[in-house]
Amino acid sequence: MRVKLLYHTDLQALKLVLDRKGVSFDPMLVMDHIVYMFEIEDCSRVTTHQLVRHRVASYDQESQRFSAATKEGIVVPPNVRSNEVASRVFEEAMEHVYAAYEKLVVAGVPKEDARYILPNGIKTKIVMTISAKSLMHFVWQRTALQAQWEIKELATALLSLAKNATPELWTKIIER
Amino acid sequence: MAVAMRRCYSTKTIEDIESELEQKGMEYCKYLIKKCLQDGSLDVLEHFTMTLLVEEMGEVEGGSLTRGFPYLRLTRLTASDWLLSLNARTLIELWRDSDVKAFAESIVSELDKANISPVFNALAFGGRIRAS
Repeated sequence: MRVKLLYHTDLQALKLVLDRKGVSFDPMLVMDHIVYMFEIEDCSRVTTHQLVRHRVASYDQESQRFSAATKEGIVVPPNVRSNEVASRVFEEAMEHVYAAYEKLVVAGVPKEDARYILPNGIKTKIVMTISAKSLMHFVWQRTALQAQWEIKELATALLSLAKNATPELWTKIIER
Repeated sequence: MAVAMRRCYSTKTIEDIESELEQKGMEYCKYLIKKCLQDGSLDVLEHFTMTLLVEEMGEVEGGSLTRGFPYLRLTRLTASDWLLSLNARTLIELWRDSDVKAFAESIVSELDKANISPVFNALAFGGRIRAS
């Protein structure tokens, strides 16, 4: 998985506005107004299904209607990768599915219909724009013990990028 | 906005999309934005966000804005000063609503004054396409 911060609100500019109005900086006051735009690449559709359940954010995802799927673009869960028997079963299933996908496309089935047999583990790319407030809620939920490994990895990466971009905001939030 | 639009239909990495847009220039970005406005694919516009200081606005006006436009975020700073954050999609929705169109016009005017998103402003609010 690869995560990149594309844009974020200028916190210093926002602080200048607060200063001008004689309002002291409080992270809880401005959390709704600090926005981050992220690009997330090579995570599975399993994880983006979980991600888009966090509705107070905006998403645009790579379409499978127009782009062809490839066997290389699959996320293999660690529990499968570390198990020799499971790895073999997984690999065989993927070979079978992708061979069928290619046959459907060659037979003239549009990609948007052929994709119905593709697995959930397929890699995808998605752009997300989210406020600091919604990001805090997302991170709180998706780094919990019961969260799944891949979205936990994603939540950790997003928080790390947000903290680097606006350290003052997140330091104060974490202190609380 | 253009990056988000290309994300939907491209398998490229974000760096490749960015260099593609740079290479093809502003006319191509203009084409993409125009297309998403014409097709009504306004979700792409949600990635363009803005934060404004609104002065001399009463509680009633603030309340009616947040009730009518749930994706708009409003925080009270002082008795009559507010922080307002919204995305370009919500701005278009404000513009289309006759009750708050004057407010939307004042936001677009501020964007124009600061030379922020001139291409988008001209396309969406210039009266040439259906967003107006």
